[in-house]
Amino acid sequence: MNYFEVFNLEPVLNIDLDSLERKFHTLSRQYHPDFHTSSPPEERERALRMTALLNDSYRTLREPSKRAEYLVRSQGFEVDSSKVPQALLAEVFEVNEEMEQLRAARAAGDDTDALVEALEGSRVHISRMREDYDQRLQEAFSKWDGLISDPGSDEMRREQLSKLADILAHSAYIRNMERDIESEVAH
Amino acid sequence: MARIVGIDLGTTNSLVAVAEDGTPRIIAGPDGSRMVPSVIHFGADQSVSVGNAALEKMFDDSGHTIFSIKRFMGKGIEDVRDDLSLLPFEASSESDNIIRINAGGRAYTPPELSAFVLRELKERAESDLAEEITNVVITVPAYFNDAQRQATKDAGRIAGLDVLRIVNEPTAASLAYGLQEKKQGIIAVYDFGGGTFDISILKLTEGIFEVLSTSGDTHLGGDDIDQALIRMVQEETKAELDNRGLGVVRAAMRKAKEDLSASEKTDIELPELNYSRVLSRDEFDGRIAAIIERTLVPCRQALKDAALEARAIDEVVMVGGSTRVPLVRSRVAELFGRALHTELNPDEVVALGAAVQADILSGNRRDTLLLDVSPLSLGIETIGGVMSTIIPRNSTVPASATESFTTYVEGQTNVKIHVLQGERELVEDCRSLAEFDLKNIPPMPAGLPRIEVKFLIDADGILNVSAMEKRTGKFQSVDIKPTYGLTDEQVETMILESFEHAEADIDVRLVIEARNEARTVLDACERSRVNEEYVQLPTEEKQEIETAVEALREAINTEDHQVIRDAIEQLNEKTMRVAELIMTAAIGKALKNKRVREIQ
Repeated sequence: MNYFEVFNLEPVLNIDLDSLERKFHTLSRQYHPDFHTSSPPEERERALRMTALLNDSYRTLREPSKRAEYLVRSQGFEVDSSKVPQALLAEVFEVNEEMEQLRAARAAGDDTDALVEALEGSRVHISRMREDYDQRLQEAFSKWDGLISDPGSDEMRREQLSKLADILAHSAYIRNMERDIESEVAH
Repeated sequence: MARIVGIDLGTTNSLVAVAEDGTPRIIAGPDGSRMVPSVIHFGADQSVSVGNAALEKMFDDSGHTIFSIKRFMGKGIEDVRDDLSLLPFEASSESDNIIRINAGGRAYTPPELSAFVLRELKERAESDLAEEITNVVITVPAYFNDAQRQATKDAGRIAGLDVLRIVNEPTAASLAYGLQEKKQGIIAVYDFGGGTFDISILKLTEGIFEVLSTSGDTHLGGDDIDQALIRMVQEETKAELDNRGLGVVRAAMRKAKEDLSASEKTDIELPELNYSRVLSRDEFDGRIAAIIERTLVPCRQALKDAALEARAIDEVVMVGGSTRVPLVRSRVAELFGRALHTELNPDEVVALGAAVQADILSGNRRDTLLLDVSPLSLGIETIGGVMSTIIPRNSTVPASATESFTTYVEGQTNVKIHVLQGERELVEDCRSLAEFDLKNIPPMPAGLPRIEVKFLIDADGILNVSAMEKRTGKFQSVDIKPTYGLTDEQVETMILESFEHAEADIDVRLVIEARNEARTVLDACERSRVNEEYVQLPTEEKQEIETAVEALREAINTEDHQVIRDAIEQLNEKTMRVAELIMTAAIGKALKNKRVREIQ
């Protein structure tokens, strides 16, 4: 059983979280080991396995990016967020240099105000790009869901999944970058 | 289903509670006390006392009185060196991966020591409920790691208990407050006990308590407040304190702390140190402010993990004796901007909640369900000493993750896997949990085998591992060696030892009783020798009695109570006739005397 099947869902990417939570609670009442203490060992084992699967599914599906990543991986696509996306090369280069300078200045005990300000400026720019990726991700979700309700050709689906994998990788990369800058600024 | 009781195995005190018709109550001891101090005393005569009896020995025999064991659960010597330097007991040299404490002529692991306290609670429950109790729920701090949880379960097994569930203390506390009557809301449980601090954020929806996040510090509690006051005394007196002195000062500081929960100032008198002073609550607050502040850091972390602002909290439940401190209450009320739940006794609320959870497991309560989380991320070591998270912290348990492993060398049949818990990136900064080998992998070219390892954290928050080689579909044996803790075999041995001990204890008692009786019989025999009736016995009969006396004198020195009993029996038989003669004569004399008196 895959995570979508646990919740009796088609592999869609736009999911209503309130209804997902209600189903999670109903299924928890059904499977949870607490309600099977006096059952035979094999039933207790099943309760444990089913509840673990339910919890794993809920943890994954309730977060849009995890949900999408699960979907594309289960269809054989990789989401590699370790490589620098081509579209971000210039920004990554600049941010790395700024962080490097800031660390060096800190180590030397120099004044860092100007450097922090420059990095903060980059952060605003990066955040805006991230919001742009969020938007693209949302569009890709809806497009995929369209292919589920109105099945397109296999080729169209694979193309869409591959596009999703790229957007997810880039968006994860940019999110990590945003986090690194924030922690460097807050240092 | 057999009855299940709830146990709060605390750092300072432990309690047992039971739910009857849905209402939990604390089971009191024969003396009416509701708490069993988590203290064990090992007497010079091999006797072991637990609870209040042991607490009385704390000052006079401090080196042999063990307390605060919970701080040592699931720990190695390196983890607890600082604690040990403050406590009057000694660790054995074999303490690397599990600390062993020297007591009563041998070295005990923390689970064995905790088992003494658990046995006491078991007896309490059995005598109150008039039935044998083996099924229990035991609470632990939410922030306990795998090794600490496993150690608690081991303690239960050694005490002859079946631990059906390990429950997190803050979660249990929210059950005790019966908050499920409310339809929904967000609850924060602030649990500040003797040795640990926990914070949990829960979401309540129609009887389901879902833990959103939990955080804490397993090394922060009321003990630290006591320690701050002890330091004050040490600084002001410059006194070098021995174990006994330290015990006296600690008790006085605890009392001062408790006084200041109700009064604005307290008098400290320590005649032994020629020390006396007034401590105001303001000064006290100043001395402990930093400790209280340390509890707010995990609170903020838990809120952040739950993606909530402090003002989103609807209810704040206060748990643990240290929440009686006024500064604690005011700082927490300030943080959440809410009135606090302090209606229930903070020392009892966890045990009451454990009894409610026991009631759920008994099948008596289908309306309430706890969905708890794992407090720490679970990961494995990857190349370069980096930890790779496979189950993130605050995942609802049971939770699982499957990872694939392969070989790097042609024909390789073993793969070593190192499991960790923690939030840091480098292996060396995380808590090593266990190492295991995937063995008997079919020899194949490098990279070809695909071994799928399933990591499953069960509802107790304890890790289970299973593995399968996908190409052959064969289950792999997984031999887990815990980094900190006992192997299954070691626990089994301890269970056997504790049985043997219990049997040995009974044997010792029977021998002592038989010896006492033998001495009484021999004394009586000795005294009767001067009687006329004895002197007049035929020589042959006297000889037989002498032989039986000699036999009993020898039997007394054996360690077998049955041998002593048999010899007593022999002697009784041989002296039966003379005893009767003596008795008759005595009665005759008594009557004669009576007649004389009557005549007079």
